[in-house]
Amino acid sequence: MKSIFLNYLNSMSSFFWITAIIMIITISIVVFSEAYGLNFVSTSFVKILGKTLCLCIVALAMDLVWGYCGILSLGHFAFFGLGGYMIGMWLMFERTKSIVIESTQNNILPLTHNEINEAIGTQIFGVVGGAEIPMIWIFADTLSIHLLLVLFVPGILAFIFGWLAFRSRVNGVYLSILTQAMTLGLSLYLFQNDSGLRGNNGLSGLQNIPNFDNITQAELSIWFLIASSLTLVVTYFICNLVVKSKLGNVIKGIRDNETRIRFLGYKVESYKLFVFVITAIISGIAGALYYPQAGIINPAELAPIASIYLAVWVAIGGRGSLYGAVIGAAFVSLSSSYFTGGQIPNINFGIFTLKWVDWWVVILGLSFVITTLYAPKGIGGLVEIMFRKKQL
Amino acid sequence: MNILFKIIISLFATVLFTSSLYASQNLKFENVLSENFKLITKSSSKTIDPVIKKLLNTNAPIVGDFLKKWKNKKLYFIKKTNSIVSLKEINTNGYELVQFSNKKNLGFFKKAEIKKIKPNSGVRSKISNALIGFQLLSTDVNIRVKGLETLSRKFNPEHLTPLKNALAKETNLKIKKRMSQLLIFGTIQYSQNENEIISSLKSLEGNLSIEARGVISSLLKNKIFVSSQKPNSPNLARIIIPGVTLKNSDGSSLKPSFYSNKKPEITKQEALKLLINGNYIKNYISPSKRDEILKKNIKNKYVENIPVETLKTDVARIKAYNVLVSLGKSPPLMTDQDIDTIINKHFFYAIYDEKSSKVINTAKEVFNSINHKVNFYKYLDLILDGLSLTSIYFLAAIGLAITFGVMRVINMAHGEFIMIGAYTGYVIQLFIPNHTISLLIAFPLAFIITFLAGVGMERLVIRHLYKNPLDTLLATFGISIALQQIAKNIFGTQARPLTSPDWLDGALVINDVLSISLIRIAIFVLGLTFLILLVLVMNKTRLGLETKAVTQNPMMASSMGINPDKINMLTFGFGSGIAGVAGVAIGLFSKVTSELGSEYIVQSFMTVVVGGVGNIWGMLAGATMIGMLQKFIEWFNPSNTLAAQTYMIIFIILFIQFRPKGIIALKGRASED
Repeated sequence: MKSIFLNYLNSMSSFFWITAIIMIITISIVVFSEAYGLNFVSTSFVKILGKTLCLCIVALAMDLVWGYCGILSLGHFAFFGLGGYMIGMWLMFERTKSIVIESTQNNILPLTHNEINEAIGTQIFGVVGGAEIPMIWIFADTLSIHLLLVLFVPGILAFIFGWLAFRSRVNGVYLSILTQAMTLGLSLYLFQNDSGLRGNNGLSGLQNIPNFDNITQAELSIWFLIASSLTLVVTYFICNLVVKSKLGNVIKGIRDNETRIRFLGYKVESYKLFVFVITAIISGIAGALYYPQAGIINPAELAPIASIYLAVWVAIGGRGSLYGAVIGAAFVSLSSSYFTGGQIPNINFGIFTLKWVDWWVVILGLSFVITTLYAPKGIGGLVEIMFRKKQL
Repeated sequence: MNILFKIIISLFATVLFTSSLYASQNLKFENVLSENFKLITKSSSKTIDPVIKKLLNTNAPIVGDFLKKWKNKKLYFIKKTNSIVSLKEINTNGYELVQFSNKKNLGFFKKAEIKKIKPNSGVRSKISNALIGFQLLSTDVNIRVKGLETLSRKFNPEHLTPLKNALAKETNLKIKKRMSQLLIFGTIQYSQNENEIISSLKSLEGNLSIEARGVISSLLKNKIFVSSQKPNSPNLARIIIPGVTLKNSDGSSLKPSFYSNKKPEITKQEALKLLINGNYIKNYISPSKRDEILKKNIKNKYVENIPVETLKTDVARIKAYNVLVSLGKSPPLMTDQDIDTIINKHFFYAIYDEKSSKVINTAKEVFNSINHKVNFYKYLDLILDGLSLTSIYFLAAIGLAITFGVMRVINMAHGEFIMIGAYTGYVIQLFIPNHTISLLIAFPLAFIITFLAGVGMERLVIRHLYKNPLDTLLATFGISIALQQIAKNIFGTQARPLTSPDWLDGALVINDVLSISLIRIAIFVLGLTFLILLVLVMNKTRLGLETKAVTQNPMMASSMGINPDKINMLTFGFGSGIAGVAGVAIGLFSKVTSELGSEYIVQSFMTVVVGGVGNIWGMLAGATMIGMLQKFIEWFNPSNTLAAQTYMIIFIILFIQFRPKGIIALKGRASED
């Protein structure tokens, strides 16, 4: 009995480590925060941390689908964006509604439902030359439905796409290209003005939570940080559970030799579809947490390049290990915002000045090549080597 | 001799006769001038018409000259005698004046004695209108052409006769053709003679010019009317059912069909407005007016015992309003049903402006026959459009046909090779201003640069990853973002121009509907050249043979004395080099930015995958399918090219379901990996 428990604990060791680290960071940030603590940490930094945690969540999903199941999906950031759009619709609609109601409080006649919707329509869709609220916004005044949509829209899209793709046994690079095409199609669709989601203007003002007007951004940022870290921990737990279970073994088997697993009698397509849909839903949740912190979402966020960056994070962090994905996402996105933030002094080589803002992406791209070539296990691989040495 | 003598005699007689005729006409002209002196000197556009007509009717040869001078403000009149004269010159003696009709010198006048005639702009435009007739008869070709140009811009009924006269005398074939065209248009618009109009209309059959179509459709103009009686006009264009019927372009009505996305001609709301404007509905209370009345009747936050804050819905507002009605404080509301019944009781219809039904019928016939022809050319245009998009996709993907199609190496940096090619063209144009020469240098140079880049990439990165295609994808993606950013750092984010040579600027104009820009033809030709080149290299050269051998079985190939390393390197370089050349071509019609390549990369891969990997003909089929499909979808929804791409991608995803190996799938052993 004891040994089983120990085994279990052992299998969960990375989970406890990650949980502990995230909890320590979160608690210390709260303690040092502007809103609830000693006012050492600025709100913008808290937001960056919160967003990074969300990126870690989607990196976990990417790792599960790519590192464990071998499907290099170039579409998971699209699911992430879709989640953001779903929550963004509610945020924007309700916020605009409260503004409309407030500004018409002194009207002689109280507004009818239609009049309110008309005013909201012109407020939201004026930029794209519309005034009517499109059909897809019918549930925008109900938070519960939109929370469900955060799960279901990416989930159903992933289900349809995955079912079609896996059924016809599209594999390997073909699948990657197909997922990339899906992402491109989706972002192009969102770019057009009559998509009903404000075209390339996207949704904005998402940092304001409706009906919570008296709560400052500083306080909100802490709430979101806590929510993000809790979600990350829960996601990590679920992913760990999946990976360490029999299901996880089958999935890894599919990655290593799909044909053999199929011959063993497993329904490879169903397993793949399951992983694909679950990770899409996780990505959607991460997006729904990310964009209220970012404040704005537009179709450029869903562009194929974003999904490829996601693959970059996971690859640098180390695919095939959950903590690697988390470390990779955190490391690369934090260092990206550090290097491109303009806080590092440029290096002067005499004839040529190295501006970090300009050259960071070049360095990132090349380091990515080097990682792929010489360290396929990424940063996670280094951690593994360190721990092995300790065990010896 | 005898004949010559006769001719001379007759010529002499003619001259005598005409000169005497001219003299009498000039006299008449002078008379008209003096009769209408006031109207000419203090002209206004309202009163000038009859004067100009009278002047023209004198048929005096100097009328044209007179009008021209009048328009250009070169006429004077002598205050004492009230006679209109022209100025010969101004010198120290004063103003030297000449009588108009017989050029008799009148001597010098002082400035105070005379006055300039200054017609205002309205009058001047009327004069120039009248002048057109003279311009058309001018001996100078340029003036005649100019006159025709003005005529084509504004054709007035009074131009018909001068144009007819000019046409009879015209000898220049080109001008004659244009004149007869304008005469036809003019006749259709302004002639009073029904038969003349109909014959002119018939002569326009099959004429695709925008002018002709405009003239005919102006005959088919119609207006919407409302009445309580059934319309009984021979010129009825169509009966309109609000919210149902559609309008056909020839003015007749069109029943809605399930595949058409046209909206009904008038909605019920618009019908209601028409009824209100036509006084068929009186005292209509619109919702906003209803609310106004409610607001007026608010007393202490109550409308007749109904608290204001309950008026949150339309139902509640109607209820409150009806209370006001029952108290006699306002006119009754109409319900939606009332409005519907009123709309149903009335007739909405359109009547042609043209009166003669014969003319209308002929116009409809001709209009529809022209429309058929226009539609045909539009389809042709669509197909050509699709073809040029096809050649663009083909160009963008042709390098991939080698690296991905033959070698199975997925190169995400392919788009960046296209970009490098385009930038090469741009940089060369900076040094060599002649676009033709710079282009001739750019093509081989782009090939060399991207070839070397490809070889370098193959040696440094791809060589190590042949066994793991997914890793190749990732590594080449890293290279892709690095190259993109480097280009951005060097050339900036703004688009750089890669200008095509002048001889590629024009278009091949077939008619007013169909024209193909030369650059598109050039790209098509280039694509075709590449196709032939590629087929030749792959099938007829040693490199092609060895490439195929190495891709199919590297071990076997190397035991046959082929160096797989070298072949892989060369093949990859060749594919990259072709991408570079394609980049120069693509840069010619789209702006060169660092993101140029990434715009094409997904479509390029699609082209290869849809067509069938490892087959050049399959790729051609793929490019054709994608290009045509995109244009056809765009055609259904022309305002939205982005949506067209989305739908195309959805289609491709579905297509791959049914043919996972592409249009032309490899059979046999080669297809197994």
